[in-house]
Amino acid sequence: MIWQLDLSILTLIVICAFATIMVKDLLSAAIIFGAYSFLMCLLWTEMGAVDVAFTEASVGAGVSTVLFFAAVHQTTRRVRTRKSGRMLAKVFALMAALLTGLVLIIAETDFPGFASPFTPASLHLSPYYITQSLHDTNVPNIVTSVLADYRGFDTMFETAVIFTAGLAVIAILRRYKRDDRCDLPEPYVISEGYPDTIIRFIARQLAPFIQLFALYVVAHGHHSPGGGFQGGVILGASFILLAISYDSRMIIGIMSERLNILLGNIGVLIYAGIGFLCLLLGANFLDYSVLSKVLPATDKIMARSHGMLGIEIGVAIAVMAIVISIYLNIISHGKYDKG
Amino acid sequence: MSFVKQAPVLLVIIPLLSALLVNILGLVNRRYCLPVAILGILGSFAASVVTLIRVIENGAISYRLGGWPPPFGIEYVIDHLNGLVLVTVSFVSLLAVIFSKESVKQEVPEKIPQFYTLFILLVTGLLGMTVTGDAFNLYVLLEISALTGYALIAMGDNRALVASFNYVILGTIGASFYLLGVGHLYIMTGSLNMADLLTILPGLYSLNAVFIALLLILVGIWIKMAFFPLHGWLPNAYTYAPSAAGCLVAPLVTKVSVYIMIRIMLSVFSPLYVYSIIGLSETIVWMSVIAIISGSILALAQTDFKKMLTYLIVAEVGYMVGGAWLASAAGLTGAILHIVNDALMTLCLFLFAGIVIYKKGGHQLQDLAGLYKKMPVTMAAFTVGALSMIGVPPTAGFFSKWYLILGAIDAGKYHFMAALLVSSLINAILFFKVIEIAYFEPKVDHHGGETEKVIIDEAPLTMLVPLIIVALSLIVIGLYSGDIITNIIQHSVPAGLL
Repeated sequence: MIWQLDLSILTLIVICAFATIMVKDLLSAAIIFGAYSFLMCLLWTEMGAVDVAFTEASVGAGVSTVLFFAAVHQTTRRVRTRKSGRMLAKVFALMAALLTGLVLIIAETDFPGFASPFTPASLHLSPYYITQSLHDTNVPNIVTSVLADYRGFDTMFETAVIFTAGLAVIAILRRYKRDDRCDLPEPYVISEGYPDTIIRFIARQLAPFIQLFALYVVAHGHHSPGGGFQGGVILGASFILLAISYDSRMIIGIMSERLNILLGNIGVLIYAGIGFLCLLLGANFLDYSVLSKVLPATDKIMARSHGMLGIEIGVAIAVMAIVISIYLNIISHGKYDKG
Repeated sequence: MSFVKQAPVLLVIIPLLSALLVNILGLVNRRYCLPVAILGILGSFAASVVTLIRVIENGAISYRLGGWPPPFGIEYVIDHLNGLVLVTVSFVSLLAVIFSKESVKQEVPEKIPQFYTLFILLVTGLLGMTVTGDAFNLYVLLEISALTGYALIAMGDNRALVASFNYVILGTIGASFYLLGVGHLYIMTGSLNMADLLTILPGLYSLNAVFIALLLILVGIWIKMAFFPLHGWLPNAYTYAPSAAGCLVAPLVTKVSVYIMIRIMLSVFSPLYVYSIIGLSETIVWMSVIAIISGSILALAQTDFKKMLTYLIVAEVGYMVGGAWLASAAGLTGAILHIVNDALMTLCLFLFAGIVIYKKGGHQLQDLAGLYKKMPVTMAAFTVGALSMIGVPPTAGFFSKWYLILGAIDAGKYHFMAALLVSSLINAILFFKVIEIAYFEPKVDHHGGETEKVIIDEAPLTMLVPLIIVALSLIVIGLYSGDIITNIIQHSVPAGLL
C-alpha cells in the first residue's frame, strides 16, 4: 500500500475520464479511454487484485478499445455538436451528478479505513476462503476457486452475459440481404497504402505466440492470475490482429460465421453442461465433487479442481468466439464480407 | 436426480439450455426454434409450479448451488412471495412465446433463431432474478435480462433503435446504481447473501452508509421499473419494440423490478427499518401518487394505442410502489397481488395490440375502428382486459385495487386512495373511448351505399388462444383471489404489520 502512488494514479484516472468526455475526436476519446483502463489496471495491481487487473487489461484496455476503433472506423470520427438550447437539461444533469457525488461522499465517512485489515469485507467471509479453499478444492489461486466454484453460478451467467452480448450484436447489426441500403455514412478510411507487408509479416509471426500465451493463461488459471475470460479474450484478440492486418475475409475463411456461433454456444454449453452433469449424477447444480464418480482416479476434492478447469475451457471458447463475432459484425456493417 | 428436489434450479437451467439449443438448431433449420423454445419455457413453468406447491405445503425452500453452505456459496431461496412471482413469470412467458409464432414471421423474418434465443434468455434472466437469495447473483441476472431486453427492443423498426439506445443508457445507469448499493452493503457487512445481510444489518441501522446503500438500490430499481419521473425510456422502447418482444417485456420487466424492490425492503432490510426507522414512507407514497396521476394523464393524451398502454404501465408501477410503501398489511397484500394481476392485464392488452398490428399493420387508435364486427372473440378478450384495468369486479384488477385502497385507509394516506380512484376513472374514460372507436365507428364508406356484409376475420389460432387464456385467467384469478391471498400472499406479509 503506497498511498502516494494511489493518489497519483487516481488523479490521472479522473483526468482521463474528463478528457474522454470532453474530447471531440472519437478516435482520441477511444485511445484516452484505453489509457483510463490501463490506469485502472495499475490501481487494481497496486491493491493486490491481480486477477481483476488482468481482466481489465485484456478486456477494458485491449479488446474494447479495438471494438471502439472498429465502430469509429465504420461511422464517423467527429462529434456533431448541437448548438441550440439543451442548457436546462445540462444544468439538471450536472445537479444530479453533484447530488449523487455528495451522497457518496457522505456514505464514505462511515466506511472502514482504506486497506485496513479489520474491515467487515476481510473479516466476514474472506478468512473462510483463505483458509479452506486449498483444502476444499485443491486450487491454490483463491480467486479462481471463488470465481469458478464457490460462486461458480455467477460466473456461468457472466459467460451467458458475454454470449448474450454477441447475440445482441448479431441481432441488431447483421444484414442478410446483400443489397440492403446503408444509411450510415461512408467508412472513414485510415490511409490508402494500407496493406503493408511488414505489418502483415509481424502479425502473422506474432499470432501463434499470442495464442500459445492465451492457452497458458487458461490452463494456468488454477495457480496464477488468469483463467477463461482473460485467455479467451487474448485468443480472440490474436484473430482480430490478423483480421486488422490482412482483411476480415481471411479470418472468415478460418472462422466462418456458423463456426463462430457454434463455438460461442458450445462454450456456454460446456459450462452449463458440466453443471447439469452434476445434477444428473445426483448432486446439486455445479457441485463438481460428484464428478469423481465419472472421472478416473480422482477424489472429491480433485474433482472440483478438474471441474473448474472444464468450465474455464468452456468460458475461453465462448469468449473467444463472441469477441471475434462482435468485431466482424461491427467492421463489416453486419454484412460479414469485407472490412 | 429428482425433479421435485432440483426444481428450484431447473426452472432457470431448463430455459438456459433450451436457449443454447435453439441457437444451435437455428443453424440447421429455423423450424425447430419455436418448438424447442415452447418446450423450454413449458419445462420452466412446470418446475415453478412444482416449487410453489412445495412451498405452500412445507414452507420456504433453500437450494445450495454448487453444494456450498449459504454465506459462502450462492443460495436460492423460494418462499411464498417469489414462488408466486415465478409461476406468474413463467406462465406469462409461455403465453407470449406461443403468441410470437406468426408475429415473428411477419416482423423479424430473417433473425428467428436470434430472436428466440434472446427471448428465452430474457425469461431465464427474469426467473433467475426472482429465485435468487443472493444480492450479487441478482445483479448478474439483471444484466442478462437487461441486455436481452435491449436487443429484443432494437429488433423493431428504425425508431426502435433510438428508443433502445435511450433504454441502454438509462438501464445501465439503473443497474450501476443497484450495483453501487450492493457494493456499499458489502463494504459495511462483508456479505452478499440476503439472509445473512438481514441478520448483520440491524447492528448498523444508525449509519448513513447503510441508508445510502438502500437509497442507491432503490433509485437503481426505480429506473429499471420506470417509476415516474424515471420513466423516460419506457414509452418509446415498448411502443416500437417488435410486438412479440413487447408482449414479454412489457408485462414482466417492470413487475419483476417491483418484486425486487419488495424483496430488498423485506429480506435485506427489515420492515422495521424501511417503514419506521428511516421515515421515507410518506415521501415515496407521495411520489407514487404523482406517478399514478401523471401516468394516467399522459395516457389520456396519446393517439397511439400502444403508447397509451405504455403510459398506463407507468401509472400501474405507481400503484405497486405506493402499495408497498404504505406500511400496512393490506397495502402490501394489494401490491403483491397487483404484481400478478398487472402482469396478466398488461399481457392481455399487449397481445391484443399485437393482433391489431398483425392484422392492420399499425397501432394508432383509428386502426381499431370497426373491430368488434370483424374480430368479435379478440374484442371480447380485450374488453375483459380493459375492465380489469379499470377495476370492475369480478375481474382480477378489482381485487388488488380493493386491497390497495384498504391499505391506504388503514395507513391514513387518503391522497393515495384519491389517486387510485382518479386513475380508475381515467382508465374508464380511456378504455370506453377505445371501445367506442372499435364498436360504434364503422369504416367510412365513400360510396354511400349499403354497408357491406362484414366478414369475420379473426387472427390465427396461435395468437387468439393465448389471448383467450389470459382473458379467462383474469376472471379466474379474480374469483379465486381470496384463496390466493390466504394461501400464498398472507405468508409473505411480515407479521408485525397492521
